[in-house]
Amino acid sequence: MLNVLSRAIMMGTPLLLGALAEVYAERAGMMITAIEGIFLMGAWGGFVGTYISGSAVTGLLVAIGCGVITAAIYGVITVYLRQQQIVTGTAINILAAGFCAFFQRVLFGIPTTPLQIKTLPKLAIPLLSKIPWIGEIFFHQNILTYLVYLLIPVAWYVLNKTSVGLAIRSTGENPQAVDVAGMSVSRIRFLTVLLAGVAGGVAGSFYSLGYLGMYTSGIINGRGWIAFAICFLGNWSTKGVVLGTLVFGLADSISIYIQALSGGSAFPNELIIALPYILTIVLTVFRKSFNVPTQLGVPYSKEN
Amino acid sequence: MDASVVELRNISKYFAKVIANQDVSFSVQKGEVLALLGENGAGKSTIMKCLYGLYRADEGTILIDGQETVIHSPKDAMAKGIAMIQQHFSLVPAHTVTENIILGNVRGPIHMKECREKVRRIAEEAGFEIPVDARVRDLAVGVQQKVEIMKALYINARILIMDEPTAVLTPQESETLMRFIKKFAEKGNSVIFITHKLKEVMEVADRIVVMRDGRVAGNLRKEETDERELSRLMMGEDVIPAIRTDGEGTTSGEVVLDVQNIRVGGGKAPVLLDGISFQIRRGEVFGIAGVSGNGQDELCEVICGDLPLSEGKLLYCGRDIQHDSIRRRIDAGIGYVPVDRYRDGLIMNMTLAENMMLKTSFDKKWTRRGFIDQKKLNSYTQDIIREHQVKAPGPDAPAKSLSGGNQQKMVLGREIDVGSTLIVFNQPTRGLDMGAVNRIHRAILEEKAKGKGILMVSTELSEIFALSDWIAVLYKGRVMGIFRNGELSTQQIGLLMAGYDLEKGGGDEK
Repeated sequence: MLNVLSRAIMMGTPLLLGALAEVYAERAGMMITAIEGIFLMGAWGGFVGTYISGSAVTGLLVAIGCGVITAAIYGVITVYLRQQQIVTGTAINILAAGFCAFFQRVLFGIPTTPLQIKTLPKLAIPLLSKIPWIGEIFFHQNILTYLVYLLIPVAWYVLNKTSVGLAIRSTGENPQAVDVAGMSVSRIRFLTVLLAGVAGGVAGSFYSLGYLGMYTSGIINGRGWIAFAICFLGNWSTKGVVLGTLVFGLADSISIYIQALSGGSAFPNELIIALPYILTIVLTVFRKSFNVPTQLGVPYSKEN
Repeated sequence: MDASVVELRNISKYFAKVIANQDVSFSVQKGEVLALLGENGAGKSTIMKCLYGLYRADEGTILIDGQETVIHSPKDAMAKGIAMIQQHFSLVPAHTVTENIILGNVRGPIHMKECREKVRRIAEEAGFEIPVDARVRDLAVGVQQKVEIMKALYINARILIMDEPTAVLTPQESETLMRFIKKFAEKGNSVIFITHKLKEVMEVADRIVVMRDGRVAGNLRKEETDERELSRLMMGEDVIPAIRTDGEGTTSGEVVLDVQNIRVGGGKAPVLLDGISFQIRRGEVFGIAGVSGNGQDELCEVICGDLPLSEGKLLYCGRDIQHDSIRRRIDAGIGYVPVDRYRDGLIMNMTLAENMMLKTSFDKKWTRRGFIDQKKLNSYTQDIIREHQVKAPGPDAPAKSLSGGNQQKMVLGREIDVGSTLIVFNQPTRGLDMGAVNRIHRAILEEKAKGKGILMVSTELSEIFALSDWIAVLYKGRVMGIFRNGELSTQQIGLLMAGYDLEKGGGDEK
């Protein structure tokens, strides 16, 4: 039981990271539909960086670099060239999948056994990890998870209590107001996209570096889209996203548990995996008040 | 008084190959209210957007306090004490008043309490009553405008540019605004007031710069001029207004439309229209006055079949049509010129000819052996273009290539044909210049003379007075009274538009 919950927190880490960045970008009016590709590039970059250099820190930096570059391509096309966000994102996701598969082959050929790297160690926080239950669940995690713990209040504070957050939120609601107030809508939007690149790169690397210790082409397998969905489920708020992540993290963890338990035969664990998606749809249909930014996905063009 | 706060020298601005402004020069003095007068598309807003840094002028220089200044962005403009209130407010509806005012003017963490206090203090000084924590979307338009003004006051603006500020206000709200402007200027600030309404100019301006076709057509002190001269400068010619001939046909004609106690909404949905009753006879123009958003659009949609009613009766030539589809109503001869021609009137990417058969596309008259009879459609479109003096290259031109006024004439031409018995005009001249307005007014009166019943919604009182036989005032979905044209003064209508009952004397809000 504790194991399942602890695992839920672990599995939730990259999802929350991606979802928080998605909240920022979407509040500024940008759907990061390239998030799946950004995750994948992060996972691949993290693996390659670590494998070649032998250092997880280098791997993480390479992952961030890959994520930011992917996001930047997306940002230039959607913000500055004002192309349709869903189409652009889909194209970039396909591009990322091809890019990683190709260069993985170029760099490493077809190895007979999968190439392994060391996963990030689990660090037990002194004292806190000794708390019964709680310690086991929350404080036997790797460094990235702890970073995300710290990130939650920061993300909430910046979005809701600072001028930067106000500018971001205004951009998604009425970019003209931001423009007239003397700020650059394009710059704000592009920066939130880059932020999503950083977060998505780290989140992606979590799967190769923090979890599997290797890279496979199906490593992300839709988890970028889950982060995307969590933003929706969480009603575009940081708090909501934290709750949404727990739901998805738990489902992910339970399904792995059941798979291990029964060998994947007795209980259809696909049902558990599907549950959060069903919940998202149900909530979308029945939720009364939507927090959806009015200008979400709409390119802003200043006539000039 | 003689120090120029702002001086524009030979400013030109081009959009692609179109000239928006050419060689525009004028200055604004300290403590002066300057009216920038001109038709739509005369380049008033463009020149001000250059000053405010939203556009970059292609040629010319801007001097502020006698110093040559380059303004790259609104940020630069604001640093020089210039603020501009856009025609379409730049507010974030989902945010609070305070959040809107401090947007762009705070750094780092926001101390909401202090900001709120500061905003409250500024509101008090300006004499505005503004709930600082209310969300902007919950405020009336007049209050939203005050929030916009507050944004300017918050940054201590000394030059305030207002783009068509009275377009959305009731006469009383406009008066309050005019008082504010005068007071603001008396303190040594300057106001540039963009408008196309002559009356306002004469009321509030010290000096008037008239613009036409992107150039300055005149620069006059108010004492030296009059409305007639200004209108000639604005138009380049004298305009003879369309005049309604009174009396004929009224009250004697057969009833075309009989609206009985209509109600829309209710239950869980908001009530949009409530207890509305009136009759329109042949040869009558029934004018509906009111500030926009008080149920006018809904009323028009009910008559045209776009919106079902929850209670009441809708009799058209004596027959209840409330369950008739839109198509049946079109067949029955109800024409409809919608308020938003971009959304409901035309399909901008289609040709004029295609747009002309939009509403009657099912009609056999357009087809020959199952295909569209292009020749017939083209000649029909050509007729409309000629008849209504539309400036269009031909039936094949896409609708979007026409100017707003010419688009509206095309819609009008189509609806006049569709509406053989009743035509509903929802703000038919909104956003059009005087020439087009005049042409459309004439067309409306011609249809009236043909014995059609006409319902005309307008937010411009002058238009209501000029064309209507009967005037009803809508406020919050209810009719505040039905009057013969001439029975009411502007003052009285203004009160009705703001929800005050003339007999009781009190408002229903307070």
